[in-house]
Amino acid sequence: MAQSYYEFFCPVKMIAGHKALEHIPFELTAIGVSRPMIITDKGVRQVGLVDHVTNAFDGTDREVAAIFDDVPPDSSLKTVQAAAKAYRDQQCDAILAIGGGSVIDTAKGVNILVSEGGNDLTKYSGAHNLPKKLNPLFVVPTTAGTGSEATMVAVISDTEKETKLPFASYFLMPDAAILDPRMTLTLPPHITAMTAMDAMTHAVESYTCLSANPMSDAYASAAIRKISENLMDVMATPDNAQGRLELAQASTMAGAAFSNAMVGLVHSLGHALGAVCHLPHGLCMNLFLPYVLDYNKSVNGDKIADLLLPLAGADVYANTPQAQRADKAIAHLRQMRDELFERCNLPRTLKETGKVERSQIQQIAEKALDDGSIIYNPKEASLEDLIQVLEGAWE
Amino acid sequence: MKKHNITVGLEKAYVTTMMTIVGRALISASQYDDEVRREIAGMPTGYVLSMTVMPSGPGFTLRAEKDGSLTWLSNDTPADLTIRFKHLEHAFMVFSFQESTSRAFANDRMIADGEVSQAIRLVRCLNKLESIILPKVVAKLAVKRYPEKLAVGEKFSKALRIYAGVTQQIVKGR
Ligand SMILES: [Fe+2]
Repeated sequence: MAQSYYEFFCPVKMIAGHKALEHIPFELTAIGVSRPMIITDKGVRQVGLVDHVTNAFDGTDREVAAIFDDVPPDSSLKTVQAAAKAYRDQQCDAILAIGGGSVIDTAKGVNILVSEGGNDLTKYSGAHNLPKKLNPLFVVPTTAGTGSEATMVAVISDTEKETKLPFASYFLMPDAAILDPRMTLTLPPHITAMTAMDAMTHAVESYTCLSANPMSDAYASAAIRKISENLMDVMATPDNAQGRLELAQASTMAGAAFSNAMVGLVHSLGHALGAVCHLPHGLCMNLFLPYVLDYNKSVNGDKIADLLLPLAGADVYANTPQAQRADKAIAHLRQMRDELFERCNLPRTLKETGKVERSQIQQIAEKALDDGSIIYNPKEASLEDLIQVLEGAWE
Repeated sequence: MKKHNITVGLEKAYVTTMMTIVGRALISASQYDDEVRREIAGMPTGYVLSMTVMPSGPGFTLRAEKDGSLTWLSNDTPADLTIRFKHLEHAFMVFSFQESTSRAFANDRMIADGEVSQAIRLVRCLNKLESIILPKVVAKLAVKRYPEKLAVGEKFSKALRIYAGVTQQIVKGR
């Protein structure tokens, strides 16, 4: 690369570790918030995670002014409008999002409406269509995967038009991300595995795709190391609080990396497979990751080779000749997938999902070709290339 | 006039010319190249795409027709997809083939306003166009992967038709 250029932006305050939730009241007070509204979903509330947060307000002079817990698994315009109404009715002045990707995206959408006024979210869709800073938004992730607490994007479904509206703006970056081990402690094994492999993919793609830069590389490699070192421990002992916290941090770091360095073909194929066959995002990431790295290797084998160090540790890295490091890194990821398959049946091939027909490959390839992330993939991919990768991932 | 101003003036003139040539060449390519035509046919009929430089041009605006061809529109036509270079210099780098379109995207040189999937189609069309009309050594720098299947004969005859098409359009002023 002759003349490089990059941008890196991540103004999110990280509040992470033991008793992190108890810092929320102070942080809200510090920026003048008095009536925060919690946005969450019923599942998160039922398992008592919202209580952890509201309890943190006990004995302080702040309180939670409202709780909106009606976020469906796929955030929609209607949900955003309903939550915005609740915010206005209760005269709230900040949002505290507690949940996974859908809750965080919904919260970002709500924040646009309550900050900008009106009820029409569609006019802010697209890139850089917000004129000014929004109201305060704090995020407490309950999965360790999406990384949305550190990104400037949100996707909201328009269920009537059956489209997904993308939003990208610097002002969609949350003000703070609160990572507390209590919030991910009860995540079931297969969700833990899927979301961790989503975070892994964010980090790997940030590091190996076209927009990679020194800042995002630092976040990405640190995230990969944390996931490799902790995922299997957490799978074996789910109540390992420190391991949970490490995964949560890795997810946020990977989010900061990919918000700046973007993602590539694993996501193009994953978005397409998810849409065509209704499979969870993390599952699709875990499935395609090694196949895409194999495909890209001829173009950026040197970057893939770097990954062996954070993936497998210093000894393995030092004992592997440079020429074999890329293959070894991919093999290491395959080995992780095998272990996850043993532990929670996380599929490694299209056939193993039991939800994909071989005849759907053409349709998936066509959809992937139109996916935004394909432009950041280091190696050009034609329809024929995509079909080949998909055929390779069949069994 | 300061030297810098002269450079800016020249770059602006160059980018203005190149915007016209690339826009016109896309129209020609949509007639002579199956791949480009397929990409355009995949866009909604009547989809208006525009490529421009902030704050106020130069640029080109095209409309995707049902059969996969493109037609020229005036730059004040409202577009469904607008790709805006943040600075004249960034457009100059792309149109003098010092930075590929994909790399320019990756480097945040421009903002795509509109449906991302259509922006990607446009980038693929530009890649194909550059592979056809540029000498291979230059094209290899301008695109991620030079199409292995593009035979010299095909490249030459298509390039000729596209150049001829551009000249004709400019002369006729359509
Ligand atoms: Fe992802």
